Amino acid sequence: MPYALCFLLFVIGLYCVLVKKNMVKIVIGILVMEYAVNLFLIMLGYRTGGAAPIIDKTCLEPGTGQITASFISTSVDPLPQALVLTAIVISLGSLALIISICVRTYEKYGTFDITKIRRLKG
Amino acid sequence: MEQKQRNSNVAQKEKISNGVKGMTIIVKTIGSWAKVLIFLFGIYIVLFGHLTPGGGFAGGVMIASAYVLLMLAFGGEFVKQNLSPSLALKLACAGTLAFAAIAVAGFFYGPDGFFWNFIGQEWLAGESSNLHFINAGIIMLAELAVGVIVAAAIFLVIFTFSTFKFDVSDNQKE
Repeated sequence: MPYALCFLLFVIGLYCVLVKKNMVKIVIGILVMEYAVNLFLIMLGYRTGGAAPIIDKTCLEPGTGQITASFISTSVDPLPQALVLTAIVISLGSLALIISICVRTYEKYGTFDITKIRRLKG
Repeated sequence: MEQKQRNSNVAQKEKISNGVKGMTIIVKTIGSWAKVLIFLFGIYIVLFGHLTPGGGFAGGVMIASAYVLLMLAFGGEFVKQNLSPSLALKLACAGTLAFAAIAVAGFFYGPDGFFWNFIGQEWLAGESSNLHFINAGIIMLAELAVGVIVAAAIFLVIFTFSTFKFDVSDNQKE
């Protein structure tokens, strides 16, 4: 069920990108799609009652120094979180690029409406 | 009298269009108190990134947001005097170089090369110590470099957008 809601959020973003005619609203739609994908990846790595994957002395076997099986069965996978953190940083950079393109387009044409941006002006 | 009124109206419009010189005294006073707390919390998040949630990126964003608060409350010129864009660019480049130097320094110290933790980890996490927050070797140094990069870069991005002036010379030509 949460995955279906995540997909619904993605579809809302896609609708916003395809239907809206204002460039700023299209940018907002792209951001909503990015957040839906991030939420999906974070939910894949969720584990109910999980522990932080930090190894300290309570996680090691007393004699051998091996990691205990209970730590392996309760610790959370840190990979999706690192992936999503990187994706957030990259989406921030691409957002700055997209908004600068919007600003330059408004400067050139005087409108954000994509149906009115028709002429090729050099 | 009418002429004078019209002149003052024109002057007021120019003042608005030429960029706001800051907000009211309420926002300025509260902003000057809050900026210290936001900045300190950003530094705390950067330094304790390997022990608590957060890290270089989150703390850097908080430090940049302190400057954004100043930019909104006092105007762009005030921030430009505090942290000039050229200095911010130099800070971002210095942070990037420091991060690369920390990564490459592993080649000279350890068998694994890239990002080898040459300082080592003296205490395990969860163990109490007086110098608890420097117990992760190069991780804290790398987080510090990332924090400087992110703070300077996001400050630069927002400052560039806030001081953007439309170049109308192209439109007037036609």
